[in-house]
Amino acid sequence: MAILSEKSVIDKQFLKEQMSLLLREKCYTTISPDVIYLMKKSYEEETSDSAKEMLKTMIGNVRMAENRKKPVCQSPGFPTVYIRWGKGTDIAGLKDILKEEIVNDTKDGFLRPSMVHPRTRKNTGDNSGVGVPNMELEYDPALDFMEILISFKGCGAELGNAIKIFTPAQIGKEAKGIKEFVIDTVIKAGGKPCPPIALGIGIGGQMDIAAKLSRRAVSVRKWTDHNPDPEIARMEEEILGMINQLGIGPGGVGGKTTALAVRYLPSSGELSLLGCKEGWDENLSHWEDRVSF
Amino acid sequence: MAQAKKITLPLTDETLKDLRAGDNLLLTGVMYQGRDAAHKRIVEALDQGRPLPIDLKGQTIFFMGPSPARPGKPIGAAGPTTSIRMDSYSPRLIAEGLKGMIGKGMRTKPVKDAMVKYKAIYMAAIGGAGALLSKSIKKAEVVAYEDLGPEALRRLEVKDFPVTVINDIYGGDLYEEGKAKYQVKA
Repeated sequence: MAILSEKSVIDKQFLKEQMSLLLREKCYTTISPDVIYLMKKSYEEETSDSAKEMLKTMIGNVRMAENRKKPVCQSPGFPTVYIRWGKGTDIAGLKDILKEEIVNDTKDGFLRPSMVHPRTRKNTGDNSGVGVPNMELEYDPALDFMEILISFKGCGAELGNAIKIFTPAQIGKEAKGIKEFVIDTVIKAGGKPCPPIALGIGIGGQMDIAAKLSRRAVSVRKWTDHNPDPEIARMEEEILGMINQLGIGPGGVGGKTTALAVRYLPSSGELSLLGCKEGWDENLSHWEDRVSF
Repeated sequence: MAQAKKITLPLTDETLKDLRAGDNLLLTGVMYQGRDAAHKRIVEALDQGRPLPIDLKGQTIFFMGPSPARPGKPIGAAGPTTSIRMDSYSPRLIAEGLKGMIGKGMRTKPVKDAMVKYKAIYMAAIGGAGALLSKSIKKAEVVAYEDLGPEALRRLEVKDFPVTVINDIYGGDLYEEGKAKYQVKA
């Protein structure tokens, strides 16, 4: 879902065209290849007939959406855009371009109008609204390119999220307390977020930071890669293994595939916090993509 | 996997007697589409003794808010939303005669109790299959609450719409049974 531009000066027309392509070709009508790969792998490994059928249908749904240029899922969720840029590039005007593309794409039937007024709950009708899209900006002068990553994450998945503030004693030996909280959260979420899910875990900072890290964790990294930090990689694998022993399965109907990936993103902190996020509903929702499905 | 049973809507008590948690069904006939906002209005109308836009008796509601229809198509992507959003309202609708609900994810105890008491079932459609499910919807028309946009109450005509029974009228619960079957015991 990212575009890289080697141009030192990015003109607005170029940016607008790229955003339109990115949204229509990658965000709404398909899910990222790493997620498809993991779903196919899970299909091969599942032993339950109904779980296999669920996964086959989900994969078939993506193929149909691609062929017909239709949204993979009806729910666009809430869009967050992760942007990194450097000294030679300029993000002026980018937010307006994204807002405009999202409104146009809603009019053209790629997105359901899902944004409502915070008090009256009146639907704006075109996905415009205060704070849409949410932009997460990271400026690094050394970067000689701009990276734009768009994550549409459905809100059914949000209903499974949880956050907890731990005292050091509660974290326990080998983070036992954190692991227990994560597993409990996944059990309570059950079939609500459209499993198989990807789970983002944000640790540290303060509450606001942990919550943002959890979404970033599941949105910016490929679900197939390995964490370069061997200790964190081990933790991710361990928690993934624990989750996939719960039996929740695809769609919650029972099976081995409850999660496709666990993504753990720590920050330093005096207190430790844990934000725990279910990710599948991506592109438009749940498993579908994430970079967001 | 067991062959899917073909079921004609609206559901009857006779039909419901034979359905069990875990059954795969293909639904044909008329159902309604509504989610949080439409449920809120229905319950408000009931509270105030106003007439409802539809007769709930025997009906099935699909918890869904579609993406816009392309020209010539009845509806856009049409996958289920998370059912727990409706749990504050569903027991009331079930008491009024609602027989079927379609969504995704587990329900809370008051909803499950109401299903057993009044003989209603909860079915799941596959989350994340919105493009595919829309193929089974042949006609869609707004019957009330048009101002809610995607959350308006719609009448849907479906053909072979695929669902799985999660909660039956006997208290069976596929989410609990499926999990227990595949859970790796420590």
